[in-house]
Amino acid sequence: MYRISKDKVNDIAAALAEEHTLYAPALQRETLQVMFTQIKDLARINLTAALPLVPPKHVVFPQFGRTLSYAYDKAKQEVKFTPETDNSPKALFGVRACDLTGIQCLDRFYLGQDFVDEVYRDHRKKMFIVANTCVTPFRECFCSCMDSGPSAREGFDMNLTDLGNEYLIEIGSEKGETLAKKLSLASAPESAKRDREKAVDKSLSLFSKTAKDNKAWISRVVNRVTTGLFDEKAWTYIGDQCLECGACSFVCPSCSCFNVVDSVTGKDSAERTRTWDSCSFEGYSRMAGGHNPRKPVEDRRSKRCFCKLSYSQSKKYLRHGCVGCGRCAWVCPGDIGMPNVVTYIRREITKKGQ
Amino acid sequence: MSDNTTIPEVVTVDEIRDEIVDVKTFYLSFDERPGKKPFAFKSGQFIMCTVFGAGEFAVSLPACPENDRFHLTVRRTGKVTNALHELKPGDKIGVRGPFGNGFPFEDIQSKNIIYVGGGIGIIPLRSSIMHVMQNNQKFGRILMFYGARTPRDLMYQYNLKEWKTAPGFETFIAIDNPMPGWDGPTGFVHTLIKNADIPVKDTVAFVCGPPMMFNAVIKELLSRGLDEHSIISTLERHMKCGIGKCQHCSIGRTLVCTDGPVYTYHQIKTLGEQI
Repeated sequence: MYRISKDKVNDIAAALAEEHTLYAPALQRETLQVMFTQIKDLARINLTAALPLVPPKHVVFPQFGRTLSYAYDKAKQEVKFTPETDNSPKALFGVRACDLTGIQCLDRFYLGQDFVDEVYRDHRKKMFIVANTCVTPFRECFCSCMDSGPSAREGFDMNLTDLGNEYLIEIGSEKGETLAKKLSLASAPESAKRDREKAVDKSLSLFSKTAKDNKAWISRVVNRVTTGLFDEKAWTYIGDQCLECGACSFVCPSCSCFNVVDSVTGKDSAERTRTWDSCSFEGYSRMAGGHNPRKPVEDRRSKRCFCKLSYSQSKKYLRHGCVGCGRCAWVCPGDIGMPNVVTYIRREITKKGQ
Repeated sequence: MSDNTTIPEVVTVDEIRDEIVDVKTFYLSFDERPGKKPFAFKSGQFIMCTVFGAGEFAVSLPACPENDRFHLTVRRTGKVTNALHELKPGDKIGVRGPFGNGFPFEDIQSKNIIYVGGGIGIIPLRSSIMHVMQNNQKFGRILMFYGARTPRDLMYQYNLKEWKTAPGFETFIAIDNPMPGWDGPTGFVHTLIKNADIPVKDTVAFVCGPPMMFNAVIKELLSRGLDEHSIISTLERHMKCGIGKCQHCSIGRTLVCTDGPVYTYHQIKTLGEQI
């Protein structure tokens, strides 16, 4: 464990920026929204700003990304492929615990199943992650329900915790240790561990009423979502409020569905692009003949919540798919973010006679 | 695991055969594969087929894995399949795969087999039928029920003749409505089964066809006493990657590309979604 004074914390970012493309939370001047964005001017980094509007998912899994370009010379009947992956060094500075958990979900899903996704693997290859503990929760936060915060426990190279006058730095990897040595960071006393625990406990006590209420209920809701043992009308109720905009998936740190499109770029050349997709869209499961096995909006809602909450899906992520960042609740125009879905299902299973 | 999971492999279209209206069979040959094993697949698996400049789609493999010319049979339905139908012999396409689990042939040795196909649903079954036909001494009774809208919609005419006379095969072919020139049975496939004497004990049924037909056939087979575990089908889904990452093909807790496309009816029923 090390410590660093508050005015020096950007030294870590500066050291990382030497060899990495640096991404950190910063206030966007035009919109006054906090964005997790590429940083060229270190003074823009804001570690105390609210949870970024969009998670750092876009760094490991870009919203639009060319994965392959190819040229087909029809006269000569020759095909030439150029795979395009990006394995440049990247550093994420000041990642919140929920977002880090989201990246872990993506790691386990993309790298740990039957096949390894080469595009994702290359993005993730040379990455340095500095996590940041949330000493105060933000609006709609419910990571305490989802066991993903407010402080990260694994998956980081360095983890910062604001202890008032200084930052406590925990080291999570050899890379982290090397950087700490390089910066000659002062080591922290053993008592700092207790200060950190106090800060996390204080943060937990500040969570909203919804998060506190749902905490005890989450495992029962998960059980019922997995088994489907509750009145399906709950999904109709939720589906009726869905505007099918797909915003919940786009701001979700663990949503990983993508679409693949081939588009012509020249006379003989074309490219294959991977873009984010959402299971909320009607066209998501529609097949070429027009048959759509998941057409009704409530089925699509049910699908997304199954993906985020069920035990069966947890096998893929080795945890819940939902990381409790609460972004779906901020952005949802129909007010059916994950905390509300949990509340509705809870209401359904506690009705008389269930 | 195959080594063409991300980058397609180039194959040449050797010959194109018209099957029925809007359905063509494309015979393909692989370009040189230096240092690689010859392309091999299991009956019931699928590939991702790239039509250059148009896109990629998932398609079943109708060829017999052991001794058959490698081919795809595709109906013209969307952007990519339309582009495929425009191709001429000598053109190149891309192939990734094979993917998926395939039919469980190890578990069904010496059992009776019932094939039920509707329309172009016979395409994914063809590979299995050819395999069983060549190894018919390893199985019990072999029954085949096949239905299409009109005689002109019957797929694989040249194979149907073969199957009708193949030793050990009991073949039943019907069209939906009576038509001049058709002297065979008429009606939907499940009514064919209703009137036939089918084995129930030690029997496996392979069912593939449009959802309406599928549900009717399942109902009929179950009422005759067949077990949910011994009704096998292969499902189709919108697929983008074939390697279990894009998740477009998810049904309940499974992904059709890696956990399927071959499912038992018991699995399909417990997935909790429409087929």
